Amino acid sequence: MSGIPGCDSCATPFTGFQIWLSHLLRGHGFVVSVMRSKYAWHACETLHFFGLSLLVGTIGIFDMRVLGIGKRIPIASLQQLKPWGIGGFLLNVSTGLMFLMAFPNQYLYQWPFWFKMAFLMLAGINAFAFDQIMMRRIETLGPGDDAPAMAKFMCAASLCLWIGVIFAGRFLAFYKPVFNLPPP
Amino acid sequence: MQHFLLWMEATDFSTWLRESESIWAFPTILTVHTVSMGFLAGISATIDLRILGVAPRAPLLEMKRFLPVMWFSLCVSIVTGVTLVIAYPTKALTNPIFYLKLILIAIALMVVRMIGRRVLSDPPLDLTPAPRNVKGLAAISIVCWLLVIWAGRALPYTYGLLFATEGKP
Repeated sequence: MSGIPGCDSCATPFTGFQIWLSHLLRGHGFVVSVMRSKYAWHACETLHFFGLSLLVGTIGIFDMRVLGIGKRIPIASLQQLKPWGIGGFLLNVSTGLMFLMAFPNQYLYQWPFWFKMAFLMLAGINAFAFDQIMMRRIETLGPGDDAPAMAKFMCAASLCLWIGVIFAGRFLAFYKPVFNLPPP
Repeated sequence: MQHFLLWMEATDFSTWLRESESIWAFPTILTVHTVSMGFLAGISATIDLRILGVAPRAPLLEMKRFLPVMWFSLCVSIVTGVTLVIAYPTKALTNPIFYLKLILIAIALMVVRMIGRRVLSDPPLDLTPAPRNVKGLAAISIVCWLLVIWAGRALPYTYGLLFATEGKP
């Protein structure tokens, strides 16, 4: 296991992976110089929050319908919200990558960031599984129809996981790296 | 004004919020504020998208069922927002952008109320495309929420004084 330069005690079982990722993300001079301006940082944060709201709003309404709020809405009619949710997600991936490429070491060596990634992965797997397995079964649910328990469970999980993503995303800003690597 | 700010900053609750090392103090309040923002602005914007023509087969009047979720999110936003102001009263109350944010929220909420009363309670609009003026209202609502979020994100960059002890506000 290779240590982190300047902080031997920071080593974790996946330190090698963290260092590899740090080198991969570093050295994009254009992104770094853009993000060093406080206006660009503020703009990316604002867009990140726009995307968050769009994602939570569209996914939230779909999940709540499956859970039983607004049951007069046919499930299939909400499918058109999907591109907007994906749009919000892509907005957040791109602005998130801007933060990450500007200061990789701020994020890669702390737990909240990896919690966020784990929540994101679980939310993604959950959404993919729902789309592949559950959607066919509940697509036909019309006005007033109750969704099966498994569908409700997956939608409740989806809401919890996205809230988890927001929690970890907010907490990661409160962790400062305990060591300094030379700037990229 | 300065006496009030000095007093508030010195209260136990304000001091605890600022100085506690616990992740459950300031960071958690801020996070809950963010989650409630997502639900409030997000659900409102999604209803606006429906009015603007996305997902036209979803009955618009049934979207009214999501308003209580929004009002609950609003309550959570207000409680956590007031708590954040108690933690750093000078930082918020001496920043013009903070008052701009409050005005924008008030406008956004008035638009949501109008949509709730006139649009989501108008049976002919349930499954037919909304007329231009109704779509305009939905567009104003989306723009208001975007401006609220922009103003909220601007607060850490625009404050003049962090504490009242730093000078006369």
